[in-house]
Amino acid sequence: MTDQRVDDLVREATRMRYSRRGIMKRASALGLSAAAANAAVIQSGKAAPKRGQAPSVRQNRTISILAGTYFVPEAQEFFDQQATEWGTQLGVTVQTDYINWPDIQARIAAAVEGGSGPDVIEMRDVWPNLYFENMVPVDDLANAVGESYGGYFDWVTSSVAVDGKWFSVPVGASSAAFAYRMSYFQEAGLADPKVFPATWDELFAIGANLKEMGKPLGQALGQSTGDPPGFAYAYMWANGAMEREEDGKTIAFNTPEFVEGMQKFVDAWPLAFDDTGLAWDDSANNRAFLSDQIAATINGSSIYIEAQKAKRGASTADYEVVVDPADIWHATLPAGPSGPFVQLGSWSYAAMTYSPEQEAALEFITWWTERDHFVPWLEAQQGYIIPMGPGLTDLEVFTGDPALAPYATVAEIARNKGYAGPADQKAAQVSSLYIITNTFAEAIQSGDAQAAIENGAAQLQRIYGR
Amino acid sequence: MSVLPIEAPARPVERAKPTGMGRILDREAPLAYLLMFPGLFILALFMAYPFGLGVYLSMTDKYVGFANYDFIGFDNFRYLFQDTIFQRTVRNTFVYSFFTVPFKLVLGMGLALVLNNHFHFSRFMRAGLLLPWIVPTAISSLAWLMLYDSVLSPFSILFKNWGLIDSNINFLGSQYNAMAALCLANVWRGVPFFAVSILAGLQAVPPDLHEAAALDGASAWRRFRDVTLPVIRNIVLISTLFSVIWTFADFQLVYVLTKGGPANSTHVFGTYAYQLMGFSDLGTAAAVSVSMFPILAVFAVVLLRYVRAED
Repeated sequence: MTDQRVDDLVREATRMRYSRRGIMKRASALGLSAAAANAAVIQSGKAAPKRGQAPSVRQNRTISILAGTYFVPEAQEFFDQQATEWGTQLGVTVQTDYINWPDIQARIAAAVEGGSGPDVIEMRDVWPNLYFENMVPVDDLANAVGESYGGYFDWVTSSVAVDGKWFSVPVGASSAAFAYRMSYFQEAGLADPKVFPATWDELFAIGANLKEMGKPLGQALGQSTGDPPGFAYAYMWANGAMEREEDGKTIAFNTPEFVEGMQKFVDAWPLAFDDTGLAWDDSANNRAFLSDQIAATINGSSIYIEAQKAKRGASTADYEVVVDPADIWHATLPAGPSGPFVQLGSWSYAAMTYSPEQEAALEFITWWTERDHFVPWLEAQQGYIIPMGPGLTDLEVFTGDPALAPYATVAEIARNKGYAGPADQKAAQVSSLYIITNTFAEAIQSGDAQAAIENGAAQLQRIYGR
Repeated sequence: MSVLPIEAPARPVERAKPTGMGRILDREAPLAYLLMFPGLFILALFMAYPFGLGVYLSMTDKYVGFANYDFIGFDNFRYLFQDTIFQRTVRNTFVYSFFTVPFKLVLGMGLALVLNNHFHFSRFMRAGLLLPWIVPTAISSLAWLMLYDSVLSPFSILFKNWGLIDSNINFLGSQYNAMAALCLANVWRGVPFFAVSILAGLQAVPPDLHEAAALDGASAWRRFRDVTLPVIRNIVLISTLFSVIWTFADFQLVYVLTKGGPANSTHVFGTYAYQLMGFSDLGTAAAVSVSMFPILAVFAVVLLRYVRAED
C-alpha cells in the first residue's frame, strides 16, 4: 500500500515539478512515514549525489550554466574549458552564459517563474534566500565541500545557507579593498605610501589634496550590485548604524553617529571625490582608475590584474590602460567610530529544480568543487575571488603578491547584508532595491544627510516591518 | 453567300445558391468575425491574457520562486501610493513623456515639411531619417551610453582638449543632468516617427489647394495653418497618442542609460517594475505596471474621442 502511495507521489512530483521540500510537504499531507518520504525524494531525483560518487549522468545531454560576466576574462575562458572537459568526459554538452551582474536576477526570476532556464546558476550573496524553493537541496554536498576546505567562513555561511540548510554550494566571492596609486597619495601628503589612511576622516582629508591635484578619490554609487554596496554598507557600519537589530525587525539605521558620518561624507564629496561617481557601475570605476582619472577606488583586484596585463601587452580592455601596476597598492577599508568593516557575501552554485537535468547539474557542481578542479579555477582568478574556507587561504595566489594581501584578510571584519539580523529574504530585497546605496546617493544630491537617512530608514521599515 | 447563324440570346447566368458554409460566409457579419478571429486570437493570447494575469498578480503577494501566495486586494496599490520611489517614478514618467513629445512633434513636423520638398538627395535623406527609428533601441541606447560615459565620453574628451572644461561632464551622475540626457536621447529616437508619419500625411494634401490659396494671396504660414494642418491633423493626433503611450511605457533607453538612478531619480514605470520584478516582488511589480493603464486609457479615450468628433 505504502509503495503504491510513494509511486503515486513520485509521479505527481515529476508532473508538478515539486521541489524536495514540496515532496516532503506533500508526503506529510498524505501521512507517509519519513522513510517513505525520503524514498519519494530519491526516486524523484531530488536528492543530491554524494561527493566522490562515480558520475552516473546519462549520455547525450545538455546543461546550461548561467553566471555573471567575469572581471578576469582568463578565468572565464578557464571555466569554459573546465565545463567542456567535464562535458566531454560524460558526453554532456555544456553551454555557459555570462551576463551583466545587475541582469542576473531578472534572468533567474524569468527562469523560476517560467519553470525553464539555466540548469546551474551562479547565485550571489544572499540570493539563495530568495530562490531556495527552486534550488535543489544540497546539504550533503555543501557540507562535504566545506569539510574539504577547512569549513566555511562565517560570512559564507551567513549569506548562503537558508535557515541552516544548503541549497547551493559556496565558492567564495570577489572581495573589496581600496586600490590606490601610491605616487599620488605620497604627493598628496601620505608619509608611507604603503600605509593607507586608517580612518575615513583621514582619507577624506587626503582626498581633498588629491582632488586639487586633479586625481580625486572615486566611488561608484550607481544602482549596481558590486562596488556601490561594497562602500555603502561598510561606511554605514563604521559609523554606528545597521539595517536592523538582531531581532530582524527593529531598524537601527537612523542613528546620530551615522547622520554625522553621512554629513562628513556629503561634505567631502565635492571636495575629495570625482562627482561623476553617482552614475558609476561596477566597471566604470575600473575604467576611471585605469584611465588615470582617479587616485583610488574600492574594488576587487581586477584593476591590478588588468594593469599587469596591460604592462605585459596583453590588455583586453576596450580603452587604453595607462597605469603602471607597480604604482598600485591595496588597503582594507578605513575605520569609522565603530571600527573598520567590509560587506561580504559568498557566491554559490545551485542546481535548479525546474531543470530536467538536475542529476547532471549536481554532478557538474560536485566535480567542479573538487580540489583538482576548484583550486586551478581559483588560481585562474588571480586573487580576484577569495575562497570560502580557511583551507584555501594559503594558496600561493593569495600569499604570493603582497600588493594583494588585504583581499584575503578582509574576512576578519566582514558582515553580511541584513546585519545584525540574518541574511534573509528581506535583507536580499533591501539589497536588490539598493536602499542603502541610494541613501548615500540621495544625501549627496540633496546635501541633507538627516533627510536621506530618515527616508532610507522609512524604506527599511516598510520592508523589514512588513 | 454564307449565312451567319443567329446567336441565341444570352441567358443570364444563374448563380448557384450558396449552401452551408458558403451561405454563412456570404453574410457580412460572420465573414467579418471569421476574418477578425486570427487577430483577436493573437491579441487575446499575447495581450489580453498577460494583461489579465498582470491585474490578478497585482492583487497578490506573489514573490518570484515561491509557490504559495495570497490574494491581498489593493494592498500593493496602497503600499505604492505611500512609496516615495513610486511617487518619484510617476513624476518622472510624466516629465519624461510630456516634455519629450512636444519636442518630437515640432521637430518631426519641421523635418517632414522640409523633406516634403524635392531637392538633391531628398529620397536618400528620407530613408536616412528612419535610422534612429529602425535601429534597435537597445543598440542605439548603448551608443548614447558611450556618448554619456563619465570617463570616456567623446564630448568630455573634445571639450577638455579645447580647454573648455577641466573635468569630465557629469551627464548621468546628477538627477537633472540624467533626466535631461534621457530626454535628449528619447527625442532623437522619436523624431523620425513623427517625421515619417507627418510626411505621409503631407503627401495627401492636394497641391491645387495650395495653388488656389497662393493665388488668393495667402502667405506660407496661412497656407500651412489653413490648408496643410487641417489635412494632417488626425495623423498628428494619432502619432502623438502613440508616442505618448510608447514614451510612457519606455524601458530600454532608461534601463540602459541609468537603470533608474542615481538614487531612483530617473525611474519610470517600466524600470521600477523591472527592478521590483527582477528582485522577486512580483505582486508589487505588477501593481506598478497596472498603474500605468488608467492614465494611458484616459489619455487614449480623450484623444480618440476628439479625433472622432472632428470626423
